[in-house]
Amino acid sequence: MKLEVGYIDITDIQFSDKASLQDGVLYVDRDAITAMILEDERIRAVELDIAKPGESVRITPVKDVIEPRVKVEGPGEIFPGVLSKVQTVGSGRTHVLRGAAVVTTGKIVGFQEGIIDMTGLGAEYTPFSKTFNLVANFTPVDGLTAHDYENALRLAGLKMAKALGELGREVEPNEVKTYEHLPVMQGAEKYPELPRVGYVQMLQSQGLMHDTYVYGVDMKQSLTTMISPTEVLDGAIISGNCVSACDKNTTYHHLNNPVIHDLFEAHGKTLNFAAMIITNENVYLADKERSSDWTAKLVEYLDLDGVIISQEGFGNPDTDLIMNCKKIEAVGTRTVIITDEYAGRDGTSQSLADADASADAVVTGGNANQVVVLPKLDKVIGTLDYVDKIAGGFENNLQEDGSIVVELQAITGATNELGFNRLSAR
Amino acid sequence: MSLKEGAALDKLITNNPLAAKDFADRCAVEYADVSLRDILVRVRDYVHKGHKLLTHPLSGSIKPGETPYKSILVSAAPGQGLDLPSLRIIEDSIVTCDKFPIKYPHIPEHVLADFQEVDRTLIAGALYKHSSSK
Repeated sequence: MKLEVGYIDITDIQFSDKASLQDGVLYVDRDAITAMILEDERIRAVELDIAKPGESVRITPVKDVIEPRVKVEGPGEIFPGVLSKVQTVGSGRTHVLRGAAVVTTGKIVGFQEGIIDMTGLGAEYTPFSKTFNLVANFTPVDGLTAHDYENALRLAGLKMAKALGELGREVEPNEVKTYEHLPVMQGAEKYPELPRVGYVQMLQSQGLMHDTYVYGVDMKQSLTTMISPTEVLDGAIISGNCVSACDKNTTYHHLNNPVIHDLFEAHGKTLNFAAMIITNENVYLADKERSSDWTAKLVEYLDLDGVIISQEGFGNPDTDLIMNCKKIEAVGTRTVIITDEYAGRDGTSQSLADADASADAVVTGGNANQVVVLPKLDKVIGTLDYVDKIAGGFENNLQEDGSIVVELQAITGATNELGFNRLSAR
Repeated sequence: MSLKEGAALDKLITNNPLAAKDFADRCAVEYADVSLRDILVRVRDYVHKGHKLLTHPLSGSIKPGETPYKSILVSAAPGQGLDLPSLRIIEDSIVTCDKFPIKYPHIPEHVLADFQEVDRTLIAGALYKHSSSK
């Protein structure tokens, strides 16, 4: 499967009477976007706002971040099985509005998640302080259940990203990259001397605000399966999960999965990126056993020499992670795991809720318990009402001078377990 | 989880009144108005008696110390002896729980209701998916 991705660099975003994309400036027709969102009768109102890098703006509580993309050539459309019919994506050509993002916020529940600061210390910890953001704050109709609200908000964010992406259809990209994922036998024949490396991506799949969808399928209902990494670049995997914002993959993360990007970079040079496997993280222990059995079976079946496993989330996924690692090592394939840590505020506690001797190559996204003080910013998009009830907030953590004391877990993407973050020990 | 007439129902150990009410016909509900940690300890007691852990005690991403609620399924009847994997998981979960201080001693009613709903959906996802198999 071969996908050409054309990156159009976005250098500014503005509201305008007419939607367009000219010389890197994204002009957003606020009325048209608002009208599109309000077609969903579950949404009573939406406020659209713009947040640019360096501005004194705090966005919270963030639900999802989505990069605008459009399919220019080839089968299917962006976000297949969700916004468009189920058709295999991942080949042809896709245009990306690089540097732009749609950010969704809304009060689904009374405890809330996710801070994006566009400047100051907080901005250092989230990748979305560097994007030109169109932010939508949704209010539901009265009496809407949390499930319906979550669903409406999720779809609205995807529609917005698709509408913006459409503006890049005819634009000449600044850079074009080609990603090719070969059938298993062809890859083996083409690179007989290179180690066959696979990627196992674990997807959060547990319940309200803890779910992930693949071609529209709730991943908790799926067995472990395979996917072409190019399909992921076309929006085959979308996020429905935002609780514990630091180590959840937004849809933007899936579209820009750095494990996929780096494996493609190394493909044909130091390794053969032979396969991508996706598996779930369910609540039932029998599911964890079944899914990790299946992961190891596929790894053995594909005759992989090495595997990178990325986790999503905290606590019970540690058990899935260790099961995957242990069982894959047991079939003779070496593993590297990517996780993050809850090691206490001083960093001295046990980092994971599970462990095994075979997990001897670990990459960490950082300690989510690390405490940071975020300065008062001039403008808040969304609301600060819930800041003391987000993961990582404390009771009365909103201080008199307007600064807030939080653990890193409150900041969207701070300890991301795909490695899409800015923390480093270097 | 079996709904067959006469079959013993798995036990739901919970301090979440919403889950206790909603799953009353699908599980043998043992509800107690106790702390999240106390629920973990009660589950450990069942594991010591030979019951098997069916759902992960650290379900969901809301941390201990943030949500006060926890619902955990254990097998209906004790098995043959102690299930060591169950014991390891519940012990590790208690260790993890103790890492998280109670952040919000005063939670408003509507937020409590939301915490109950999220805990309920975590178990619902497990229960309904397994309505016809063990």
